Parts: sequence; C-alpha cells; structure tokens
Amino acid sequence: MPSEDAPLPRHRDKSGPDPRPHSPPPAESGHSSNGAHPVDAPQSSGLSDRAAAFRLSIVPDMGFAAATAAARRLKKLRDEGVSSRSSARVAVLGNSTTSQLTSFLELFLFARGIDGVIYEAPYGLMRQEILDPESELYRFGPQFVVLAGSRRDLSLPPPAAPPEDVALAADAAVTEWRTLGRTVHERSGCRVIQNNFEPPAWRAFGNLEMSHAGAIGDFVDRVNRGLRRDLPEWLTLHDLDGLAASIGRWNWGDERYFHLAKLPCAPEHLATYAHSLAALISAHLGRGRKCLVLDLDNTLWGGVIGDDGLSGVILGAGDPVGEAYVEFQRYVRALSQRGVILAVCSKNEEVNAREPFERHPGMVLKLEDIACFVANWEDKATNLVRIAETLNLGMDALVFVDDLPHERALVRRLLPDVAVPELPADPTDYIQAIEQHRYFEVVSVTREDLQRTSFYRSDAQRRFTGSSAADLDAFLQSLEMHASCGPIGPHELARATQLIGRSNQFNLTTRRHSTTDVQRMTAHPQWVTRVVGLADRFGDQGLISVLLAEQQDDALVIDTWIMSCRVLKRGVEQLLLNHLVALARDRDLRHIVGEYVPTSKNGLVQDHYARLGFAPLDTRNDGATRWQLEVGAEWQPLSHHINGAAQ
Amino acid sequence: MNSLLAEVTGVIRDLFEDDQITVTESTRAPDVEGWDSLMHLNIIIAVEQRYAIRFSTAEIARLKEPGQNVGSLLDAIRSKTRTSS
Repeated sequence: MPSEDAPLPRHRDKSGPDPRPHSPPPAESGHSSNGAHPVDAPQSSGLSDRAAAFRLSIVPDMGFAAATAAARRLKKLRDEGVSSRSSARVAVLGNSTTSQLTSFLELFLFARGIDGVIYEAPYGLMRQEILDPESELYRFGPQFVVLAGSRRDLSLPPPAAPPEDVALAADAAVTEWRTLGRTVHERSGCRVIQNNFEPPAWRAFGNLEMSHAGAIGDFVDRVNRGLRRDLPEWLTLHDLDGLAASIGRWNWGDERYFHLAKLPCAPEHLATYAHSLAALISAHLGRGRKCLVLDLDNTLWGGVIGDDGLSGVILGAGDPVGEAYVEFQRYVRALSQRGVILAVCSKNEEVNAREPFERHPGMVLKLEDIACFVANWEDKATNLVRIAETLNLGMDALVFVDDLPHERALVRRLLPDVAVPELPADPTDYIQAIEQHRYFEVVSVTREDLQRTSFYRSDAQRRFTGSSAADLDAFLQSLEMHASCGPIGPHELARATQLIGRSNQFNLTTRRHSTTDVQRMTAHPQWVTRVVGLADRFGDQGLISVLLAEQQDDALVIDTWIMSCRVLKRGVEQLLLNHLVALARDRDLRHIVGEYVPTSKNGLVQDHYARLGFAPLDTRNDGATRWQLEVGAEWQPLSHHINGAAQ
Repeated sequence: MNSLLAEVTGVIRDLFEDDQITVTESTRAPDVEGWDSLMHLNIIIAVEQRYAIRFSTAEIARLKEPGQNVGSLLDAIRSKTRTSS
C-alpha cells in the first residue's frame, strides 16, 4: 500500500524496460514549460507519469553532467506543480562552494519522495550564519542543518607540537564544532547533520601518518574520534571520511576545482556526496527501506534449481562464480543481522526453492533468516504486494533484487514505490550495485534491530495466515513507538490540510476541508482538532493522523478521521480513540459518534468503528453509516504499544 | 570541426535542459541567458567527462577569463584530444 495513498499511476507507459539514464533524461522542448512534452516520449502522458519516470531515472552513479541536467529538469517539473509525499527544509552550511551540492541534494531527496526546500548559506559564512541570531538561516527555519565542513576548516597543530598539545588542539576542535552544532540546534530546533573530516591524500609522515601525534592524518583521526564521543541526540555525523576513503582519496578530491572554484570534492563525486546526505535525511524522516526481497535463481546462486537440481547449481567454495554467490549471501546476511528484514520472491515450485536452504552446504542464508518466503508461479508484483502485507510494511519499504531485467521492469512499472536496483551480469558486482543506493540507512541501531529476525522466526505458512498475536505484539513492542497527540496549531496546519486534501484510503468521510476551514475549527470551542505524530526506531514518521470532531449536545461527533497508511496496524487508532474518550469525559459528554462515508477508495476503513468497539447507529441511503460509543465509566481504554505524549 | 561544435552544443543543451540553445564559435558566456560562472564551470566539467580529458588548472582558469568564447573551449578540447590520440 503506498504511504499516504496519493493516487498512483498503475502504468507508466513511457518508462522503458530499463530507465537507467546513461544518456541524460529527455529534455523539455524549448522554453514553453507549460504542457511541454519530453522530446523522446512519443505518447502524451500526464505530469505525474513524467514525474514518476523522472524519479526512477535519478540514480546515484549518474555522473556530474547528467545530475546537473536532471537538477534543472527537477526545477522545471516543480514549477509545473510536481510534488512529493514528504518535504524537508534543509540548510547547507559550508565554507566551500555548495551550489552544485545543494542542487544535487534536492535531486536525490526528490528521488526518495521528498521535496527538499534548500537554504544555501552564502559562501564562507558558516560561522556567522550560526552565531548571528538574526541571520537568514534562522529566518529560513530549517528542519535539518548540514554542517558541510572539511579538513580545511580545522586549524592544525604544528607537526612538532608535543602530544599533549595535539590532544588539546583536537579537543578544542571537537568542542568548537559541538558548540556550533548546539547553537544552531538550540536556536532552530533542527537536527544537525555534521560531516566528519577527511585527511588529504598526501602523507608527509608516510607510513607513520596515523601514528605520529601531530601528523595531519593522526590529527584528523583524533578529531573524528572526538566527534563520535558522547554524541548528542540531535546530532548525526555524516561519514564524509568514509565516503572519501571508499572512492579513494586521490580521486575524491580534485584539487583543481578546489583551487579554481572551492568545490568541496571532485565534481564527479558531488552526486555521491549529495546522495549520501539525502539518504541520511530520508532515514531521519522515517523513509529508509526496511526489507530486502530476493529472487533465487541466478541471484542467490548460479543456475536454475528447478532444472539444474541441487548438485547442479553454482554455489560454494571451489568455483569462482560459486564463491561470488557465497560472498553476496554473506553481505545479505550481514544486512539481516543489522536489522534489515529479508524475504524471498521466486518463480519456482516451493519445494524446489526451499531445497538449497535446507540441504546445500554452500548456502550462507538459512530459512530462518527469511521472514517471508514466497515461491510460486504468480507474477512478482502480486507476490511483492503479498510480502508487504504479510510483513505489515508499505511498498516503499521494499527493495527488490532480481537478475532478470523483465522482472525488474514489471515491478518498476506496476509498483513504482518498490526500489528496484539494476543488477550487473557478474554476481561479484551485486554487492556494490545494491550498496551504492544506500537504501537501508538508519539513524541508529538498537538491540532489537540486531535481534529482528527472531521476531520472524517461524514457518512461512503461518505467516501467510497471519502472525500470531504474540509475535505481532513483540514486533510492535520492538518498534519503540512514541506518539504526540495535540490540537492542530499553526505549525501543524499545513501538514494537516495536506493529509485532508490527499488521503483517500484511511479516510472515513473524505471531506476536503480547506486550510481556512481547519483554521476556523481550531479557534472554535465546539470543535476538537487533533494531529498525531509518530516516531519509532526507524526515525520520525512525522504527522500521520488528523481528527476533527464537533461537540453536539451530549456527543462528540467525528467529522474527519484520517491516517497515513504507512502506519496502519501500529495502534495509532487505539491511541487516538483513548485520547478522544478522555477528552469527551472531561467535557461531560456521553457518546462519541463516528461516521463512515464509502468511496471507491476507502473500503479499508469500512469496519473501522466496529473494530474500535462502536455500535451501529444508522445507515443512510447512500451507504454511509453512523456509529456510536458510550464513554461511561465501564469503557476500558484500548491496548496498544505506543508511548503517548498527549497534551 | 563543425561536428565538434555540434557535440559541445549538445553538452551545453543538456546542461541547460534547453534544446533551443544555439552557439557559435564566437558565442561568449554573456550572450546566453543563465550562462553564469557556475554554469561555465559545469560546462568545463561536463566537457572533460564527455571527452575523457583533463584540463590543467591554468587552462581552466584561462577559459574563465572574460573575452573567452566557445571557440576557445573548442581549441582547448582539440589540443587535448590531439595529444592524447
């Protein structure tokens, strides 16, 4: 189920089977931005189709020129009214040229379904912007501030300094950066994402660079370790050093462009840099992917198990390709041990598909690592929907890995919310092909993440018929959910109205109140307005539910009840009802009345009030039903696993 | 020679996301709307990638000087592609 259920096209006609752009995306014709069609798209297609195809064309290895063109294209599409499900206000502060970085950041946020509103601090004014309470930065009101520092922002101790002085200088640098971060956090309430520092490629001390106190490599390392110590909750470190190392330090920094234009790294790696930041921001918005769905034949092993048999598949030591599959499985298992949920989606007889897991000595992955095992002859899109439902995940939580281009194309076409990475022909390259997308970025790893698979350790058949209540409870418990529930204030108004305007599925009455309507309700004593925000271990889900109710005589009548589908079955409805009953009792009311107005899209909540213990009141000719709940002393609060903070 | 101009025009059109842009060897940055110093840099970077060449710091600095035109860029590309092939 797509989160927040914005209407999604079921078919995207013009995205070919493989929309990876090694050539830049199709250009708009001319300056006529209104209604202009992409030059090489023969059929006329709507704006949302073009936006969806464009979103898919944004890939992390797209190179500088393609990313520059795509960033311009994005600006045009946004001018035409294309928008995403979430948005984020991000300020980027650096003492380098960040123009390309910020436009790429906007691009990669968009690829992840986030409209980035970006503030780029004037060149070289990082400290001033933070320290001046009247600066543009604070007027902008960032949710995220990226401190895009580099080693050039560090004052280095002289190489001959005694080790104590080097240690003091490193501590001073850590303290200074922590103070800058804390200042901007306290003044704007933002989350701070701060680069660690990358040493230069050259090493004056050669092999001793990391061990001689006062060598640049040693000093940068000390500062980086200091930054990791006692990390406050509001601060996220962005591992720029790791990024530079993974690319290779000589390649990472193209010093020509630093000397010429103060670019923070080589132009061809700016996209990687921006993508890495976008992945972090997206994780903080709760939009990291959670589940890796794997094909089997030629994905986890070489060959076709149904044809080649157990002894015929290529897997295990002794065969170089077999070893490549083993290494890929190790990578997948490491992800799983970190908390990524694994599923299998294979076109096979189930008994054949399971056999290697049970009997092949080369298999690293075992059946108990797989939370949901689907092997049949139905199409993969249908099976992916089934997997998502079984695991109680949104489609946008899935990553689907399959060696067959047509299967990937089918899933991209029918389920655009599922991430489908291109897979190279050589299984040795699978790991990097998946890893470069940074799908599974998380903000923290908890003990529960590391034990995640145990929540799912039971046989797949039972999962199909629904997990046992005990398992589901344990899972929900492990999510460490926190909710905030309060009236719609000025800060929540835009998001609340957006939910009212967009939600179709979990929407009991589909009344599209305008911002002005809602604002009027918030000021009216007879009306009760509520928004619910939810955060869990995966990050902040943001405001995900809205409720509007009017006091009429001795009843509280629910006019609107909306929830984002991505938090379905998490207990938010129960939490909100408990809150509502307490509120009704405070007002000495006797009933809560709810209404369900059927539409073509909201069948999901047909039994919403029945499930919450309401009794049917009446049914109108058009099928609308009304429900009533007595809020007397005998009513018991509903149980859920969310820690609430109601006001 | 004309084909090089056509290719570079293609690079520029891609970067600008604008298929109507036409340049000649005498075109200079101020002649094209939106061709600012950032776009100038973007063009040089894209050209380096397109032809797998590497300009020296001084060459890029020279291309950024006022008075340089598309012809200067084509000359710079030619000097690199000739020596490398």
